[in-house]
Amino acid sequence: MHYMLLPESQGKRLLATSRIPVPKSWKAATAQELSGFGLTFPVVVKADVASGGRGKAGGVRRCETMADAAAAFASIMQTRFGGEAPRGVLIEPWLAIAREIYLAVTVDGGAGGFAILYSPKGGMDVESGPPPARYAFGVPGNFRAHKFRRELEQLEPDAKLRERVIALARQLVRVASSQDCITVEINPLIVLADGALICGDAKVVRDDAAVYRNADIVAELDHAHVRDSEQQKRCRDARLTLVPLDGDIGLISSGAGMTMAVMDAIEAAGGHPACFLDCSGNPTPDGFSLAFDLLEQDTRVTAILVSVFGGGMQTDRVARTLIDILSKRSSHKPVVFRLNGTGGERATALLESAGHHNHQSLEAAVASTLEKARAT
Amino acid sequence: MSVLLDWATRVAILGITGRFGTFSARDLRDYGTEVVAGVAPGRGGRTIEDVPVFERVEDAVKERGANAALIYVPAPNALDAVIEAIEGGCSLVAYPGDGLPVADAMEMRAVARANGANLVGPNSPGLISPGKAKLGFMPSFCYRPGALGLISRSGSLSYEAAHRLSNADLGQTTCIGIGGDPVKGLNAAEAIELLHRDPETEAIVYLGEIGGSDEYAVADYAQQGDAKPVAALLVGRTAPPGKKMGHAAAMIGSYADTWVSKVAALEKAGVQVARSFDRLTDVARNSLAIARRDYKAVALTHP
Repeated sequence: MHYMLLPESQGKRLLATSRIPVPKSWKAATAQELSGFGLTFPVVVKADVASGGRGKAGGVRRCETMADAAAAFASIMQTRFGGEAPRGVLIEPWLAIAREIYLAVTVDGGAGGFAILYSPKGGMDVESGPPPARYAFGVPGNFRAHKFRRELEQLEPDAKLRERVIALARQLVRVASSQDCITVEINPLIVLADGALICGDAKVVRDDAAVYRNADIVAELDHAHVRDSEQQKRCRDARLTLVPLDGDIGLISSGAGMTMAVMDAIEAAGGHPACFLDCSGNPTPDGFSLAFDLLEQDTRVTAILVSVFGGGMQTDRVARTLIDILSKRSSHKPVVFRLNGTGGERATALLESAGHHNHQSLEAAVASTLEKARAT
Repeated sequence: MSVLLDWATRVAILGITGRFGTFSARDLRDYGTEVVAGVAPGRGGRTIEDVPVFERVEDAVKERGANAALIYVPAPNALDAVIEAIEGGCSLVAYPGDGLPVADAMEMRAVARANGANLVGPNSPGLISPGKAKLGFMPSFCYRPGALGLISRSGSLSYEAAHRLSNADLGQTTCIGIGGDPVKGLNAAEAIELLHRDPETEAIVYLGEIGGSDEYAVADYAQQGDAKPVAALLVGRTAPPGKKMGHAAAMIGSYADTWVSKVAALEKAGVQVARSFDRLTDVARNSLAIARRDYKAVALTHP
């Protein structure tokens, strides 16, 4: 699963197709392209990445000359932003900013739909200020300009600006709902000297579950996959869910909530999990073999804990699979088992007859795993 | 009594001709649940597991008296199937599937509310009233009848939690899997309100996680003067920020999403929070003791 934050250039393109005002821009993937744009300086050169925190990492630069722009390009392309290599730079005219505000449309679970967030002070420091005003309206068809206006009246004395914000918010709601977006955040939303609004930045998060009906999400997922580690690629293909963590306890589990519960239990006992690895998407010999492969190859992992509470899953079948995997392995990393629930008694009998102990409780299994990890 | 499900529940399974739908029909019936119809467009007229299959929900309601629907269709067809079930006359609908676009979840939730129906899901095992009926695919052996109402965002966690509670003689009235997505049919606030009104439910156990705002709705409830005692377990204490932990909604994007912030809010509201899984039965038992005004039985639980 991916958190599908689009790079700024694509977020803005999505907005531009609905005629939401964005600055004129150029995209460059090579230094040679810069001179062909006929730029009028000053401009801003920005890393075209999907990762946050770009400004603080030197990914946004004001440039007065072509030489400045070339230097900014070279520097940005050598930088990794949250581990991500820029696909290029985005160049825009340096705007005469009268004011920066904050406007976002985002999914609001409590409202069963969307909420609009508004703060009269936008820009880099929005997070350190008071929380933005929130107008939660639910399904897109429930957006009511007059209700949002009432919220804004407290914050925004300039009626003309207020009406422009309301009109833009309505457009953002339309884009979010029609384009399967989780969040469309404009920060800063720039007020120009003549009072017009223009999107200084765009943080657009698409819904990866909607990939089957959006060709552009397919392309974006492909790009996100290019950034994946080899491990994540293999897990994705095998329908396992992997989130790498910093610890040394290899954790194989089943179900998102239970996998988190086991992570927490490992930490509570003084250990650190090496991963969140949920095999419930593919509880077959292939799935478990891959899970073991990854943890055996990961040199940080000192011990492996297999903790499965079988609901729909037959743990005796899992036991058979695991016994087979263990009989073929060359690694000596200790493995601790805890298979309970459906088929649990048969799983215990199978594991015991193959010389493995099956712990009856999560807590005992975690304690045993940590003990073995310390002994290695 | 119980909420949503009881002996009068008559289930139609949409997608009964699929492997999982057929398995589920048998599993529900083994639990004593009345499976009265299947629905599969283009396949009406046959029977599966002795259950007559209809072309549309309307016919299953008219001819077999179906009043609840369990829906096993792929995500791209789910919105239409849920709407058909609701508008066809089922006042209770469970859609367990995952991978549903959030825009579709919003729409199905809105249709359920407009029609006064209760929708459980997406991304949930469904719901069960132990000893009475089930509408979902949770493993039956984990549950037994009792006085606790259980609400969970996670299927896998709820199975083991219910199993631990049942083994500790802490049975359940109804267990509702509200699911792991950000937008749900029944959310925590709505599920808790149902349990609040159920005279047989004496105390409530809430299983939550990082991300989303459901835990704050639980805290709001617990602060009410007439609230039933609430016990809780939250997972994801050790999850890193910015990563989806399997569930679409289980991601830390801000401080309010964290375990620490949520546990603080719940405890401030008087919820007994288990600091680890092995304390769950203790806090659940305490909540029941508080509900029964048996204060001598309330044990200190911290840390």
